Amino acid sequence: MPKTKFPAVISTFCLCFVFWLFLTWNFTAQEMIAGAVVSLAAALFASKFFIHENAFWLFNPTKLGALIVYIFTFLRELVKANVDVAKRVFGGCKDVNPGIVKVPADLKGDYAQAMLANSITLTPGTITLDIAEQDGKTYYYIHWIDVAETDREKAGELIKGSLEKGIGRIWQ
Amino acid sequence: MRIVIDILLAVGFIFALAGAKGLLQMPDAFCRMQASTCISTLGVLGVIAGGALYAFFVMGSVATGVKILLIGLLIITINPVGAHAIAKGAYRSGIRPDKEMEIDDYGRDINE
Repeated sequence: MPKTKFPAVISTFCLCFVFWLFLTWNFTAQEMIAGAVVSLAAALFASKFFIHENAFWLFNPTKLGALIVYIFTFLRELVKANVDVAKRVFGGCKDVNPGIVKVPADLKGDYAQAMLANSITLTPGTITLDIAEQDGKTYYYIHWIDVAETDREKAGELIKGSLEKGIGRIWQ
Repeated sequence: MRIVIDILLAVGFIFALAGAKGLLQMPDAFCRMQASTCISTLGVLGVIAGGALYAFFVMGSVATGVKILLIGLLIITINPVGAHAIAKGAYRSGIRPDKEMEIDDYGRDINE
């Protein structure tokens, strides 16, 4: 069981409080005090599950910038993949060639790996089935709707492409 | 502004239609899941963007617009976890496509 750390509590508190302000969008003193109390309680309970490493990484301007750049990279990939899958569907669903490829990844850290896996799943045409650790390297099992490349390394380049570089810049 | 909102809503509807058609017609379970991600990404994002613009500029209510954007954020963060769990559960419980897959590393590795 991890222990509760003070910086982790503060950063979880900030996140919860901003979320509360967005949800209520009401800046009277009564609402803000109630929000602060609830956020503090939530932060005390949840911070040890929520933050493991550096609590203040988002307050670093380079990383925040990398996150914003990544959002646009991801949106571009998302639109490309969506148009591709929509074309296959409107073409009568015959043009599919499914398969599961095992793809190596170089990212370190739980959050970076989870973020890459979620980004891959969110892109239509690819779903992450499992993550495996072998000999200190990480492998993703990815279901791919159109296997264009059976070589693992090249398939990895096609699937991850710019996503992995963007995530690496955020969590380095 | 109304034209931009209408275009965003139409884009959302087109991708949601593509997802629904794929969900009914794709050949096997995994491909059906792939098609359904179309609904939850660009389908939802288009409708969310259109709705938020409508709330900000036509209704003039910032609170509603921010809530709509939060709905989009939550769908984007939660959806892939569910999709991954369903796909892995389907594979582990023995569902296989009718047609042989082009390459199947996962089946090879979990049978070892």
